[in-house]
Amino acid sequence: MKRLLDKFQAVEQLRSGLNLEGEDPTGVVFDSINSATEGVVSGRTTVLAGTNNYLGLTFDPACIEAGIQALNTRGTGTTGSRMANGSYALHGALESDLADFFQCPHAMVFSTGYTANLGVLTALLGKDDVVLLDSDAHASLFDGCRMSGADIYRFKHNDVQSLERRLERLKDRAGRCLVVVEGMYSVLGDCAPLKEIVALKDRFGARLLVDEAHSLGVFGERGCGVAEALGVLPAVDFVVGTFSKSLGAMGGFCVSHHDVLGLFRYVSRPFMFTASPSPSVAATTREALRQLRTRPELKETLWSNANRLYFALRDLGFELGPEISPVIAVRCKDRETALSDWNKLLNAGVYVNMMLPPATPGGASFLRCSVSAAHTTAQIDTIIKKFAGLRG
Amino acid sequence: MNQETEKTSTRLAAILTDYLANNWTESSPGKRTITATTNMVTELQLDSFQVMEFMLEVEDHFDVAIDLESLANVQTITDLANVVIAARNDG
Repeated sequence: MKRLLDKFQAVEQLRSGLNLEGEDPTGVVFDSINSATEGVVSGRTTVLAGTNNYLGLTFDPACIEAGIQALNTRGTGTTGSRMANGSYALHGALESDLADFFQCPHAMVFSTGYTANLGVLTALLGKDDVVLLDSDAHASLFDGCRMSGADIYRFKHNDVQSLERRLERLKDRAGRCLVVVEGMYSVLGDCAPLKEIVALKDRFGARLLVDEAHSLGVFGERGCGVAEALGVLPAVDFVVGTFSKSLGAMGGFCVSHHDVLGLFRYVSRPFMFTASPSPSVAATTREALRQLRTRPELKETLWSNANRLYFALRDLGFELGPEISPVIAVRCKDRETALSDWNKLLNAGVYVNMMLPPATPGGASFLRCSVSAAHTTAQIDTIIKKFAGLRG
Repeated sequence: MNQETEKTSTRLAAILTDYLANNWTESSPGKRTITATTNMVTELQLDSFQVMEFMLEVEDHFDVAIDLESLANVQTITDLANVVIAARNDG
C-alpha cells in the first residue's frame, strides 16, 4: 500500500543527483553580497552572473535611502491584506506611478510576481473560459491558468501559426479566450512576436496578457518591455510583471486599460488573502522605477554588456539562445556536462544559473547567464575567460 | 478495442516514435517499439511536461483541441487515442 510520504522518495533521488559533481546548484549560499554583481561563496569572491538584476539597482543609494526612510516612518510590515487591514498610502502611490509609467489608467500591486500571475489569471478566467498558453510560459502563468478552472490549450513556443490554428479550432469560443505569453522568455532570452500575436487576437476577438517580468527596464524606449519596443503596448489587454528583477525589490503588478482591473481586488483570492507589500519594499520599488525612468544610461550599459558577452561566447563556439538579450543561455551537451561545467565556473569564481529538464525548452540543459548594467567590463571579461576555461 | 481506437492508436504510436527520434535527445528512452498498450509514463518514462510537448504534435496531426485536463489520466497510447477521438467528436 502506498503511503502519504512515499512520493518524496523520487524527490530525494532527484536531489541526491544534483551534488554528484560538487555543489548542489539549488542550494548555493552567498556568505555575503558585496554589490549588485559581486558576492562571496565558500569564502571565494564571486562574479554574480545569474541574478536577473538587470539594472543593478539593488545597491543603489537612493533606493536604499527610500527603504530606510519607509522603515523608520512606517515600520517593518503591514501585517495583513489590503482588503481586511487597509492600504498604506505607499501602495496607492506605487500603483499611480505604474499607471503613469505604462500610460494605462489602471494598476494593481501584488506581494510577489508569482501571486500577481495567480491573482490576475484567477480573476480573469473561470469555468467555460479558454486560455491559449505559450508552451514555454513560466510556471506561475501555468499555475494561475490551472487554478482558474478554464480550459487550457498550449501552442508551440513563439509559433504564430500554431496559435492561429488553435484560435480557429475554438470557433465561437474565441471570444472567451485569453492568450497568455511572455515578453522576453526567461530561459533563452527570446522575445514573443507580439505584433503578429496582437493581430491574431484582434482578428479572433480574444484578449491578450503579456508577462513582462524579464523585459521591464530592458526593452522599449521608456523601458516598459517588449510590447512597447514593438509598438503594440496600447493593444495589450493586460500587462503583468515583477519588481524582483530590474527593480531590485519584491512584488508584482498588473496594468490595464480595462476598467475591470479595478474590480479584481474583489475576486482575486491571491490578492485578498496575502499580506500587502511591506512599506520598505513599496518605497524602494517606487525609487527604482524613478531611476529606471530618469537614467536611460542604465539600459544602454546593460545592452552593451549583453552584446559583449553574447558575441564573445558565440565566438568561443558555445551554442547560445536565438536572440541577443541580457539573458544568455549556453546549451550543454547533456545534464552531466551542465552540472560539471556549472561547478567549474563556481569554483573559478563565476555564479550562473543551471537550468535542467523538464523545466527547459526542448528538454535541454543550459548554463544561463543574466547580464547587469552594474557589471564592469572587467567582470564581463572574467565571465568570458572562465567560460573559455571550460573549453580548455 | 474498436476499429477507430485501434486505427488512432496505431497512428499515435507512429507519431510518437517519430517524435522521440527527433526530440528529447538527452532524456529519450532508447529505440524501442511503441504499441497501443505502451505506457508512456512507466515504460517510456515520459514526464508530464514531455507528454504535453508531444500533445502539440498530436493536436496538429488530428486537427483537434485537447485541453490539459483531459490528459490527467492518460497513461497508454490507447488512453490517448480515446482522448483524441472524444476531442474529434466534440469538435
